[in-house]
Amino acid sequence: MTLALAIETSCDDTAAAVVDDALHVHSSVIESSIDQHKAFGGVVPELAGRAHLVTIGPVVRRALIEAGLDPHAPAIDVVAVTSGPGLIGSLLIGLSAAKAYALAWGKPFVGVNHLEGHLFAPLLERPDLEWPLVTLLVSGGHSMIVLQHGPGHHEVLGETIDDAAGEAYDKVARWLGLPYPGGPEIDRLAASGTAGSLKLPISMTGPDYDFSFSGLKTAVVRATEKQPDLPIADVAASFQAAVAEQLLRKLRHVLEARDVKGIALAGGVAANSALRRGVEGIAADYGVPSYLPSLSMCTDNAAMIGAAGLHRYVANGPSGFDLSARPNWPLAEVV
Amino acid sequence: MNIVAIETATTACAIGLRTSTGFEMGWVVDDDRHHTETLTTAIDRTLREWSLTPADLDRIVVDRGPGLFTGLRVGLATAIGLSEALGIALVGVTSLELLAHGAHASGVRGTLVAAVDGRRGEVFIQTFALGEDVVATSEPTVDSPREVVIRWATLATPVTFTGDGVSRYLKDFAAVPNGNVEEQRVPSVTSALRLAMTREPSAFVEPLYLREADAVANFTTRERQ
Ligand SMILES: [Zn+2]
Repeated sequence: MTLALAIETSCDDTAAAVVDDALHVHSSVIESSIDQHKAFGGVVPELAGRAHLVTIGPVVRRALIEAGLDPHAPAIDVVAVTSGPGLIGSLLIGLSAAKAYALAWGKPFVGVNHLEGHLFAPLLERPDLEWPLVTLLVSGGHSMIVLQHGPGHHEVLGETIDDAAGEAYDKVARWLGLPYPGGPEIDRLAASGTAGSLKLPISMTGPDYDFSFSGLKTAVVRATEKQPDLPIADVAASFQAAVAEQLLRKLRHVLEARDVKGIALAGGVAANSALRRGVEGIAADYGVPSYLPSLSMCTDNAAMIGAAGLHRYVANGPSGFDLSARPNWPLAEVV
Repeated sequence: MNIVAIETATTACAIGLRTSTGFEMGWVVDDDRHHTETLTTAIDRTLREWSLTPADLDRIVVDRGPGLFTGLRVGLATAIGLSEALGIALVGVTSLELLAHGAHASGVRGTLVAAVDGRRGEVFIQTFALGEDVVATSEPTVDSPREVVIRWATLATPVTFTGDGVSRYLKDFAAVPNGNVEEQRVPSVTSALRLAMTREPSAFVEPLYLREADAVANFTTRERQ
Protein backbone atom coordinates (compact mmCIF):
# COMPACT_ATOMS: atom_id res chain seq x y z
CA MET A 1 0.00 0.00 0.00
CA THR A 2 1.24 3.48 -0.88
CA LEU A 3 0.19 6.20 1.53
CA ALA A 4 0.16 9.93 0.76
CA LEU A 5 -0.04 12.96 2.98
CA ALA A 6 -1.74 15.63 0.87
CA ILE A 7 -1.85 19.40 1.39
CA GLU A 8 -4.13 21.90 -0.37
CA THR A 9 -3.93 25.70 0.08
CA SER A 10 -4.79 27.09 -3.37
CA CYS A 11 -7.59 29.42 -2.24
CA ASP A 12 -9.17 30.09 1.17
CA ASP A 13 -9.23 26.53 2.59
CA THR A 14 -6.25 25.08 4.43
CA ALA A 15 -6.64 21.33 3.96
CA ALA A 16 -4.65 18.18 4.68
CA ALA A 17 -5.52 14.51 4.20
CA VAL A 18 -4.06 11.02 4.30
CA VAL A 19 -5.07 8.82 1.36
CA ASP A 20 -3.88 5.41 0.13
CA ASP A 21 -3.54 4.11 -3.43
CA ALA A 22 -6.73 2.05 -3.09
CA LEU A 23 -8.30 5.52 -2.69
CA HIS A 24 -9.33 5.06 0.91
CA VAL A 25 -9.40 8.33 2.80
CA HIS A 26 -7.75 7.82 6.22
CA SER A 27 -8.33 11.42 7.29
CA SER A 28 -9.38 14.72 5.74
CA VAL A 29 -9.15 18.02 7.61
CA ILE A 30 -10.32 21.40 6.29
CA GLU A 31 -9.96 24.78 7.97
CA SER A 32 -11.62 27.60 6.07
CA SER A 33 -10.92 31.32 6.35
CA ILE A 34 -14.20 32.10 4.56
CA ASP A 35 -15.61 34.11 7.49
CA GLN A 36 -12.78 36.63 7.13
CA HIS A 37 -13.68 37.21 3.47
CA LYS A 38 -17.47 37.55 3.73
CA ALA A 39 -17.43 41.31 4.27
CA PHE A 40 -15.51 41.78 1.01
CA GLY A 41 -17.83 39.67 -1.15
CA GLY A 42 -14.95 37.49 -2.32
CA VAL A 43 -11.70 35.88 -1.25
CA VAL A 44 -9.08 38.48 -0.30
CA PRO A 45 -5.70 36.96 -1.28
CA GLU A 46 -3.73 38.77 1.44
CA LEU A 47 -6.09 37.59 4.19
CA ALA A 48 -6.15 34.04 2.79
CA GLY A 49 -2.34 33.91 2.82
CA ARG A 50 -2.12 35.15 6.39
CA ALA A 51 -4.69 32.59 7.53
CA HIS A 52 -2.89 29.68 5.81
CA LEU A 53 0.29 30.50 7.70
CA VAL A 54 -1.55 30.25 11.02
CA THR A 55 -3.44 27.04 10.22
CA ILE A 56 -1.05 24.95 8.10
CA GLY A 57 0.85 23.35 11.00
CA PRO A 58 -2.18 22.40 13.13
CA VAL A 59 -4.18 21.16 10.10
CA VAL A 60 -1.42 18.80 8.93
CA ARG A 61 -0.85 17.57 12.49
CA ARG A 62 -4.57 16.80 12.88
CA ALA A 63 -4.71 14.94 9.56
CA LEU A 64 -1.78 12.73 10.62
CA ILE A 65 -3.15 12.05 14.10
CA GLU A 66 -6.66 11.32 12.83
CA ALA A 67 -5.14 8.80 10.39
CA GLY A 68 -3.46 7.10 13.35
CA LEU A 69 0.05 8.20 12.34
CA ASP A 70 2.93 9.58 14.39
CA PRO A 71 3.05 13.29 13.43
CA HIS A 72 6.85 13.33 13.77
CA ALA A 73 7.59 10.09 11.91
CA PRO A 74 4.51 9.09 9.90
CA ALA A 75 4.62 5.91 7.85
CA ILE A 76 3.70 7.72 4.64
CA ASP A 77 5.35 7.23 1.25
CA VAL A 78 4.89 10.58 -0.45
CA VAL A 79 3.84 14.16 0.28
CA ALA A 80 1.43 15.52 -2.36
CA VAL A 81 0.65 19.22 -2.61
CA THR A 82 -1.32 21.56 -4.86
CA SER A 83 1.26 23.61 -6.78
CA GLY A 84 -1.28 25.36 -9.05
CA PRO A 85 -3.51 26.84 -10.28
CA GLY A 86 -4.67 29.20 -7.50
CA LEU A 87 -3.75 32.32 -5.57
CA ILE A 88 0.03 32.64 -5.59
CA GLY A 89 0.36 33.78 -1.97
CA SER A 90 -1.80 30.87 -0.82
CA LEU A 91 -0.14 28.23 -3.02
CA LEU A 92 3.32 29.18 -1.73
CA ILE A 93 2.45 28.32 1.86
CA GLY A 94 1.24 24.79 1.13
CA LEU A 95 4.06 24.19 -1.34
CA SER A 96 6.80 25.43 1.01
CA ALA A 97 5.40 23.47 3.95
CA ALA A 98 5.04 20.29 1.86
CA LYS A 99 8.67 20.49 0.77
CA ALA A 100 9.72 20.97 4.40
CA TYR A 101 7.72 17.93 5.60
CA ALA A 102 9.16 15.82 2.76
CA LEU A 103 12.71 16.96 3.51
CA ALA A 104 12.30 16.38 7.25
CA TRP A 105 11.02 12.82 6.83
CA GLY A 106 13.22 11.93 3.87
CA LYS A 107 10.17 11.26 1.67
CA PRO A 108 9.54 12.21 -1.96
CA PHE A 109 7.10 15.00 -2.72
CA VAL A 110 4.92 15.67 -5.75
CA GLY A 111 3.26 18.84 -7.05
CA VAL A 112 -0.38 18.37 -8.06
CA ASN A 113 -2.64 20.33 -10.40
CA HIS A 114 -5.67 21.49 -8.40
CA LEU A 115 -8.05 20.85 -11.32
CA GLU A 116 -6.80 17.31 -11.79
CA GLY A 117 -7.45 16.93 -8.07
CA HIS A 118 -11.12 17.85 -8.62
CA LEU A 119 -11.31 15.24 -11.41
CA PHE A 120 -10.16 12.55 -8.96
CA ALA A 121 -12.76 13.50 -6.34
CA PRO A 122 -15.62 11.35 -7.76
CA LEU A 123 -13.24 8.33 -7.77
CA LEU A 124 -12.74 8.57 -4.01
CA GLU A 125 -16.43 7.81 -3.49
CA ARG A 126 -17.08 5.65 -6.55
CA PRO A 127 -14.13 3.41 -7.44
CA ASP A 128 -16.46 1.63 -9.92
CA LEU A 129 -16.45 4.57 -12.39
CA GLU A 130 -16.53 3.56 -16.03
CA TRP A 131 -14.50 5.20 -18.78
CA PRO A 132 -14.60 7.25 -20.87
CA LEU A 133 -16.18 9.62 -18.42
CA VAL A 134 -17.32 13.15 -19.12
CA THR A 135 -16.89 15.52 -16.18
CA LEU A 136 -18.43 18.92 -15.73
CA LEU A 137 -15.94 20.77 -13.51
CA VAL A 138 -17.58 23.94 -12.20
CA SER A 139 -16.40 26.14 -9.36
CA GLY A 140 -15.83 29.74 -8.34
CA GLY A 141 -12.54 29.70 -10.23
CA HIS A 142 -13.17 27.34 -13.15
CA SER A 143 -15.81 26.02 -15.52
CA MET A 144 -14.81 23.30 -17.94
CA ILE A 145 -15.99 20.15 -19.57
CA VAL A 146 -13.46 17.34 -19.60
CA LEU A 147 -13.50 13.92 -21.27
CA GLN A 148 -11.49 11.42 -19.24
CA HIS A 149 -10.29 8.25 -20.94
CA GLY A 150 -9.06 6.87 -17.62
CA PRO A 151 -7.66 8.28 -14.37
CA GLY A 152 -5.23 11.05 -15.31
CA HIS A 153 -5.99 10.83 -19.04
CA HIS A 154 -8.00 13.94 -19.69
CA GLU A 155 -9.04 15.86 -22.75
CA VAL A 156 -10.33 19.37 -22.08
CA LEU A 157 -13.23 19.74 -24.51
CA GLY A 158 -14.28 23.25 -23.57
CA GLU A 159 -14.08 25.89 -20.88
CA THR A 160 -15.39 29.30 -19.98
CA ILE A 161 -14.17 32.08 -22.21
CA ASP A 162 -14.60 34.66 -19.41
CA ASP A 163 -16.00 34.22 -15.86
CA ALA A 164 -16.43 30.95 -14.02
CA ALA A 165 -20.00 29.88 -13.25
CA GLY A 166 -19.37 30.39 -9.53
CA GLU A 167 -18.24 33.97 -10.17
CA ALA A 168 -21.53 34.68 -11.97
CA TYR A 169 -23.39 33.34 -8.92
CA ASP A 170 -21.46 35.61 -6.58
CA LYS A 171 -21.92 38.68 -8.79
CA VAL A 172 -25.68 38.17 -9.05
CA ALA A 173 -25.94 37.37 -5.34
CA ARG A 174 -24.09 40.59 -4.46
CA TRP A 175 -26.40 42.58 -6.72
CA LEU A 176 -29.44 40.97 -5.09
CA GLY A 177 -28.02 41.91 -1.69
CA LEU A 178 -27.39 38.29 -0.68
CA PRO A 179 -24.36 37.30 1.40
CA TYR A 180 -21.18 35.74 0.01
CA PRO A 181 -20.75 33.00 -1.14
CA GLY A 182 -23.75 33.43 -3.43
CA GLY A 183 -24.21 29.87 -4.71
CA PRO A 184 -25.95 28.27 -1.73
CA GLU A 185 -28.10 31.40 -1.12
CA ILE A 186 -29.39 31.55 -4.70
CA ASP A 187 -29.92 27.79 -4.73
CA ARG A 188 -31.99 28.06 -1.52
CA LEU A 189 -34.12 30.95 -2.85
CA ALA A 190 -34.56 29.29 -6.24
CA ALA A 191 -36.31 26.34 -4.59
CA SER A 192 -39.41 28.50 -4.00
CA GLY A 193 -39.22 30.45 -7.29
CA THR A 194 -40.31 29.77 -10.84
CA ALA A 195 -37.57 29.33 -13.40
CA GLY A 196 -38.21 31.18 -16.65
CA SER A 197 -40.34 33.90 -15.09
CA LEU A 198 -37.47 36.33 -15.69
CA LYS A 199 -36.74 36.48 -19.43
CA LEU A 200 -33.03 35.90 -19.94
CA PRO A 201 -31.27 35.55 -23.29
CA ILE A 202 -29.69 32.19 -24.15
CA SER A 203 -26.00 32.55 -24.95
CA MET A 204 -23.29 30.32 -26.38
CA THR A 205 -25.58 28.28 -28.62
CA GLY A 206 -22.76 27.20 -30.95
CA PRO A 207 -21.68 23.60 -31.51
CA ASP A 208 -18.45 23.98 -29.48
CA TYR A 209 -18.11 23.14 -25.77
CA ASP A 210 -17.13 26.57 -24.44
CA PHE A 211 -19.10 28.60 -21.88
CA SER A 212 -19.59 32.29 -21.18
CA PHE A 213 -21.01 33.70 -17.96
CA SER A 214 -19.74 37.27 -17.81
CA GLY A 215 -22.82 38.74 -19.56
CA LEU A 216 -25.30 36.99 -17.32
CA LYS A 217 -25.25 39.49 -14.45
CA THR A 218 -25.94 42.39 -16.82
CA ALA A 219 -28.70 40.35 -18.43
CA VAL A 220 -30.29 39.74 -15.01
CA VAL A 221 -30.05 43.45 -14.13
CA ARG A 222 -31.66 44.52 -17.45
CA ALA A 223 -34.41 41.90 -17.30
CA THR A 224 -35.24 42.84 -13.73
CA GLU A 225 -35.61 46.51 -14.74
CA LYS A 226 -38.31 45.38 -17.19
CA GLN A 227 -40.00 43.18 -14.57
CA PRO A 228 -39.39 45.19 -11.36
CA ASP A 229 -42.11 43.48 -9.33
CA LEU A 230 -40.83 39.95 -9.83
CA PRO A 231 -40.16 38.21 -6.49
CA ILE A 232 -36.48 37.61 -5.70
CA ALA A 233 -37.09 33.85 -5.60
CA ASP A 234 -38.21 33.97 -9.23
CA VAL A 235 -35.11 35.98 -10.19
CA ALA A 236 -32.90 33.42 -8.41
CA ALA A 237 -34.68 30.47 -10.02
CA SER A 238 -34.48 32.01 -13.50
CA PHE A 239 -30.80 32.88 -13.16
CA GLN A 240 -29.97 29.44 -11.78
CA ALA A 241 -31.83 27.79 -14.65
CA ALA A 242 -29.93 29.92 -17.20
CA VAL A 243 -26.57 28.84 -15.78
CA ALA A 244 -27.57 25.18 -15.63
CA GLU A 245 -29.12 25.34 -19.10
CA GLN A 246 -25.87 26.52 -20.67
CA LEU A 247 -23.78 23.88 -18.88
CA LEU A 248 -26.20 21.07 -19.55
CA ARG A 249 -26.67 21.93 -23.23
CA LYS A 250 -22.92 21.52 -23.78
CA LEU A 251 -22.99 18.31 -21.83
CA ARG A 252 -25.65 16.97 -24.18
CA HIS A 253 -23.46 17.93 -27.14
CA VAL A 254 -20.69 15.74 -25.73
CA LEU A 255 -23.00 12.78 -25.24
CA GLU A 256 -24.21 13.17 -28.83
CA ALA A 257 -20.73 13.43 -30.32
CA ARG A 258 -18.51 11.20 -28.21
CA ASP A 259 -18.46 7.71 -26.79
CA VAL A 260 -19.22 8.29 -23.10
CA LYS A 261 -19.81 5.67 -20.40
CA GLY A 262 -20.66 7.98 -17.52
CA ILE A 263 -21.18 11.57 -16.36
CA ALA A 264 -19.53 13.11 -13.29
CA LEU A 265 -19.80 16.45 -11.56
CA ALA A 266 -16.89 18.14 -9.76
CA GLY A 267 -16.06 21.52 -8.18
CA GLY A 268 -17.95 23.66 -5.70
CA VAL A 269 -20.86 24.47 -8.04
CA ALA A 270 -21.47 20.70 -8.32
CA ALA A 271 -23.35 21.10 -5.04
CA ASN A 272 -26.01 23.09 -6.92
CA SER A 273 -29.36 21.33 -6.94
CA ALA A 274 -30.42 22.46 -10.44
CA LEU A 275 -27.18 21.16 -11.90
CA ARG A 276 -27.42 17.86 -10.06
CA ARG A 277 -31.01 17.31 -11.23
CA GLY A 278 -30.03 18.23 -14.78
CA VAL A 279 -27.11 15.82 -14.89
CA GLU A 280 -29.27 13.01 -13.54
CA GLY A 281 -31.82 13.77 -16.25
CA ILE A 282 -29.22 13.66 -19.03
CA ALA A 283 -27.74 10.44 -17.65
CA ALA A 284 -31.19 8.86 -17.72
CA ASP A 285 -31.83 10.11 -21.27
CA TYR A 286 -28.61 8.57 -22.57
CA GLY A 287 -28.69 5.47 -20.39
CA VAL A 288 -25.35 6.07 -18.66
CA PRO A 289 -24.62 6.28 -14.92
CA SER A 290 -24.11 9.65 -13.21
CA TYR A 291 -21.61 10.20 -10.39
CA LEU A 292 -22.48 13.08 -8.11
CA PRO A 293 -19.94 13.47 -5.31
CA SER A 294 -21.03 14.42 -1.81
CA LEU A 295 -20.86 18.11 -0.94
CA SER A 296 -17.58 17.77 0.95
CA MET A 297 -15.96 16.11 -2.06
CA CYS A 298 -17.22 18.81 -4.48
CA THR A 299 -15.57 21.68 -2.64
CA ASP A 300 -11.82 22.04 -2.13
CA ASN A 301 -10.25 19.29 -0.03
CA ALA A 302 -6.88 17.58 0.26
CA ALA A 303 -8.14 14.00 -0.19
CA MET A 304 -8.64 14.64 -3.92
CA ILE A 305 -5.12 16.12 -4.10
CA GLY A 306 -3.80 12.95 -2.47
CA ALA A 307 -5.59 10.76 -5.02
CA ALA A 308 -4.27 12.79 -7.97
CA GLY A 309 -0.85 13.02 -6.32
CA LEU A 310 -0.54 9.24 -5.95
CA HIS A 311 -1.42 8.86 -9.63
CA ARG A 312 1.16 11.47 -10.70
CA TYR A 313 3.80 10.03 -8.38
CA VAL A 314 3.44 6.56 -9.89
CA ALA A 315 3.12 7.85 -13.48
CA ASN A 316 5.73 10.64 -13.51
CA GLY A 317 7.85 10.23 -10.38
CA PRO A 318 8.51 12.80 -7.68
CA SER A 319 8.95 16.56 -8.15
CA GLY A 320 12.19 18.34 -7.31
CA PHE A 321 12.52 20.68 -4.33
CA ASP A 322 13.04 23.47 -6.88
CA LEU A 323 9.39 23.23 -8.00
CA SER A 324 7.68 26.63 -8.36
CA ALA A 325 4.04 27.46 -7.77
CA ARG A 326 2.08 27.92 -11.01
CA PRO A 327 -0.90 30.24 -10.37
CA ASN A 328 -2.19 29.75 -13.94
CA TRP A 329 -1.30 26.09 -14.60
CA PRO A 330 -3.75 24.85 -17.28
CA LEU A 331 -5.16 21.34 -16.92
CA ALA A 332 -4.32 20.67 -20.58
CA GLU A 333 -0.63 20.87 -19.67
CA VAL A 334 -0.90 18.05 -17.13
CA VAL A 335 0.25 14.80 -18.75
CA MET B 1 22.71 22.01 19.33
CA ASN B 2 22.32 21.64 15.56
CA ILE B 3 20.44 24.71 14.33
CA VAL B 4 19.27 25.81 10.88
CA ALA B 5 18.55 29.50 10.25
CA ILE B 6 16.14 30.64 7.52
CA GLU B 7 16.30 34.18 6.14
CA THR B 8 13.80 35.29 3.46
CA ALA B 9 12.71 38.79 4.52
CA THR B 10 14.36 40.55 1.56
CA THR B 11 14.80 39.69 -2.12
CA ALA B 12 17.62 37.39 -0.98
CA CYS B 13 17.29 33.85 0.31
CA ALA B 14 19.89 32.98 2.94
CA ILE B 15 20.42 30.07 5.29
CA GLY B 16 22.70 29.35 8.22
CA LEU B 17 23.86 26.23 10.01
CA ARG B 18 25.36 25.82 13.46
CA THR B 19 26.47 22.35 14.48
CA SER B 20 26.69 20.93 17.99
CA THR B 21 30.47 20.94 17.54
CA GLY B 22 30.32 24.74 17.40
CA PHE B 23 30.87 25.14 13.66
CA GLU B 24 28.88 28.09 12.33
CA MET B 25 28.22 29.47 8.88
CA GLY B 26 25.71 31.43 6.90
CA TRP B 27 25.41 32.43 3.27
CA VAL B 28 23.18 33.95 0.65
CA VAL B 29 21.75 31.21 -1.57
CA ASP B 30 20.07 33.48 -4.09
CA ASP B 31 19.76 37.23 -4.46
CA ASP B 32 16.78 37.61 -6.75
CA ARG B 33 13.49 36.47 -5.22
CA HIS B 34 13.83 32.75 -5.92
CA HIS B 35 12.92 31.79 -2.36
CA THR B 36 10.48 29.06 -3.41
CA GLU B 37 12.88 27.36 -5.78
CA THR B 38 16.07 27.60 -3.72
CA LEU B 39 15.31 27.41 0.02
CA THR B 40 14.53 23.71 0.59
CA THR B 41 17.15 22.60 -1.94
CA ALA B 42 19.79 24.66 -0.11
CA ILE B 43 18.90 23.25 3.32
CA ASP B 44 18.91 19.71 1.92
CA ARG B 45 22.29 20.15 0.23
CA THR B 46 23.89 21.84 3.25
CA LEU B 47 22.84 19.13 5.68
CA ARG B 48 24.22 16.48 3.33
CA GLU B 49 27.52 18.34 2.95
CA TRP B 50 27.92 18.32 6.72
CA SER B 51 26.84 14.68 7.00
CA LEU B 52 23.77 15.64 8.97
CA THR B 53 20.20 14.42 8.46
CA PRO B 54 17.13 16.53 9.21
CA ALA B 55 16.51 14.26 12.22
CA ASP B 56 19.79 15.55 13.71
CA LEU B 57 18.38 19.07 13.95
CA ASP B 58 17.44 20.43 17.37
CA ARG B 59 16.12 23.85 16.53
CA ILE B 60 14.99 26.08 13.65
CA VAL B 61 15.32 29.85 13.71
CA VAL B 62 13.45 31.98 11.21
CA ASP B 63 13.32 35.66 10.34
CA ARG B 64 9.64 36.57 10.88
CA GLY B 65 9.91 39.99 9.26
CA PRO B 66 9.13 42.71 8.67
CA GLY B 67 9.97 42.42 4.99
CA LEU B 68 8.98 41.07 1.62
CA PHE B 69 5.63 39.25 1.97
CA THR B 70 6.33 36.54 -0.61
CA GLY B 71 9.70 35.68 0.87
CA LEU B 72 8.39 35.67 4.45
CA ARG B 73 5.60 33.26 3.51
CA VAL B 74 8.06 30.81 1.99
CA GLY B 75 10.49 31.12 4.90
CA LEU B 76 7.88 30.82 7.63
CA ALA B 77 5.96 27.97 5.98
CA THR B 78 9.23 26.09 5.54
CA ALA B 79 10.27 26.74 9.15
CA ILE B 80 6.84 25.70 10.46
CA GLY B 81 6.93 22.55 8.29
CA LEU B 82 10.39 21.54 9.53
CA SER B 83 9.63 22.18 13.20
CA GLU B 84 6.24 20.40 13.01
CA ALA B 85 7.62 17.44 11.06
CA LEU B 86 10.61 16.92 13.33
CA GLY B 87 8.93 17.94 16.57
CA ILE B 88 11.68 20.48 17.30
CA ALA B 89 11.65 24.02 18.67
CA LEU B 90 11.04 27.03 16.47
CA VAL B 91 12.46 30.46 17.30
CA GLY B 92 11.36 33.66 15.58
CA VAL B 93 13.60 36.71 15.29
CA THR B 94 12.98 39.98 13.46
CA SER B 95 14.77 41.22 10.36
CA LEU B 96 15.53 44.53 12.08
CA GLU B 97 17.21 42.97 15.11
CA LEU B 98 19.24 40.71 12.80
CA LEU B 99 20.49 43.80 10.96
CA ALA B 100 21.39 45.39 14.32
CA HIS B 101 23.24 42.30 15.51
CA GLY B 102 24.96 41.96 12.14
CA ALA B 103 26.22 45.55 12.36
CA HIS B 104 27.27 44.99 15.97
CA ALA B 105 29.29 41.92 14.95
CA SER B 106 31.02 44.08 12.31
CA GLY B 107 32.13 46.49 15.05
CA VAL B 108 29.53 49.24 14.69
CA ARG B 109 28.82 51.03 18.00
CA GLY B 110 26.53 53.86 19.05
CA THR B 111 23.13 54.68 17.59
CA LEU B 112 22.02 52.41 14.75
CA VAL B 113 18.98 52.70 12.49
CA ALA B 114 18.05 49.45 10.76
CA ALA B 115 15.80 49.74 7.71
CA VAL B 116 14.25 47.01 5.55
CA ASP B 117 12.74 47.95 2.19
CA GLY B 118 8.95 47.90 2.62
CA ARG B 119 8.12 48.74 -1.03
CA ARG B 120 5.53 51.38 -1.91
CA GLY B 121 8.06 54.09 -1.03
CA GLU B 122 8.30 53.00 2.60
CA VAL B 123 10.82 51.34 4.91
CA PHE B 124 10.37 49.15 7.99
CA ILE B 125 12.54 50.78 10.59
CA GLN B 126 13.84 50.47 14.17
CA THR B 127 16.50 52.23 16.26
CA PHE B 128 19.07 50.43 18.41
CA ALA B 129 21.83 51.37 20.85
CA LEU B 130 24.93 49.32 20.13
CA GLY B 131 27.30 49.10 23.09
CA GLU B 132 28.41 45.95 24.81
CA ASP B 133 25.01 44.56 23.84
CA VAL B 134 22.38 45.38 21.26
CA VAL B 135 19.43 47.22 22.81
CA ALA B 136 16.35 48.30 20.88
CA THR B 137 15.47 51.91 21.67
CA SER B 138 12.29 52.12 19.59
CA GLU B 139 9.52 49.86 18.38
CA PRO B 140 9.63 48.63 14.78
CA THR B 141 7.50 50.90 12.59
CA VAL B 142 6.82 51.66 8.95
CA ASP B 143 7.85 55.09 7.71
CA SER B 144 8.81 57.04 4.60
CA PRO B 145 12.59 57.17 4.03
CA ARG B 146 12.35 60.92 3.48
CA GLU B 147 10.81 61.46 6.94
CA VAL B 148 13.51 59.31 8.54
CA VAL B 149 16.29 61.19 6.77
CA ILE B 150 14.86 64.60 7.72
CA ARG B 151 14.50 63.54 11.37
CA TRP B 152 18.12 62.40 11.67
CA ALA B 153 19.46 65.33 9.64
CA THR B 154 17.72 67.69 12.09
CA LEU B 155 19.15 65.88 15.11
CA ALA B 156 22.66 65.92 13.60
CA THR B 157 23.86 63.34 16.18
CA PRO B 158 26.15 60.46 15.16
CA VAL B 159 24.14 57.61 13.67
CA THR B 160 24.75 54.56 11.50
CA PHE B 161 22.19 53.38 8.94
CA THR B 162 22.01 49.79 7.72
CA GLY B 163 19.77 47.41 5.76
CA ASP B 164 18.38 47.06 2.23
CA GLY B 165 15.99 49.91 2.99
CA VAL B 166 19.08 52.11 3.27
CA SER B 167 20.69 50.66 0.11
CA ARG B 168 17.53 51.44 -1.81
CA TYR B 169 17.55 55.10 -0.75
CA LEU B 170 21.32 55.35 -0.40
CA LYS B 171 21.69 58.92 -1.71
CA ASP B 172 19.22 60.24 0.85
CA PHE B 173 20.71 58.37 3.81
CA ALA B 174 24.32 59.14 2.79
CA ALA B 175 23.49 62.86 2.84
CA VAL B 176 22.62 62.90 6.57
CA PRO B 177 25.21 64.98 8.49
CA ASN B 178 27.01 62.85 11.12
CA GLY B 179 25.45 59.81 9.45
CA ASN B 180 27.29 56.69 8.35
CA VAL B 181 26.12 53.87 6.15
CA GLU B 182 27.00 50.29 7.07
CA GLU B 183 26.51 48.30 3.89
CA GLN B 184 24.38 45.25 4.83
CA ARG B 185 21.59 44.18 2.52
CA VAL B 186 20.69 40.79 3.99
CA PRO B 187 19.79 40.36 7.69
CA SER B 188 22.54 38.36 9.36
CA VAL B 189 21.90 34.60 9.55
CA THR B 190 24.87 34.00 11.84
CA SER B 191 23.29 36.46 14.27
CA ALA B 192 20.07 34.49 13.96
CA LEU B 193 21.93 31.29 14.89
CA ARG B 194 23.37 32.95 18.01
CA LEU B 195 20.04 34.49 19.06
CA ALA B 196 18.39 31.08 18.59
CA MET B 197 20.46 29.64 21.43
CA THR B 198 19.41 32.26 23.97
CA ARG B 199 15.77 32.78 23.00
CA GLU B 200 12.82 30.85 24.34
CA PRO B 201 11.14 28.91 21.52
CA SER B 202 7.44 29.60 20.99
CA ALA B 203 4.61 27.29 19.99
CA PHE B 204 3.73 29.54 17.10
CA VAL B 205 5.89 32.10 15.33
CA GLU B 206 3.79 34.95 14.07
CA PRO B 207 4.94 37.03 11.12
CA LEU B 208 5.62 40.68 11.88
CA TYR B 209 3.65 42.41 9.12
CA LEU B 210 3.55 45.99 10.49
CA ARG B 211 0.87 46.75 7.90
CA GLU B 212 -2.76 45.73 7.70
CA ALA B 213 -3.73 43.65 4.69
CA ASP B 214 -4.97 46.11 2.05
CA ALA B 215 -8.08 44.04 1.96
CA VAL B 216 -10.64 46.59 0.89
CA ALA B 217 -8.57 48.09 -1.89
CA ASN B 218 -7.29 44.92 -3.43
CA PHE B 219 -9.67 42.05 -3.21
CA THR B 220 -10.28 39.81 -6.15
CA THR B 221 -13.54 38.07 -6.81
CA ARG B 222 -12.00 34.63 -7.13
CA GLU B 223 -14.36 32.64 -5.05
CA ARG B 224 -14.36 29.15 -3.64
CA GLN B 225 -13.25 26.70 -6.24
ZN1 LIG C 1 -11.18 24.02 -6.42
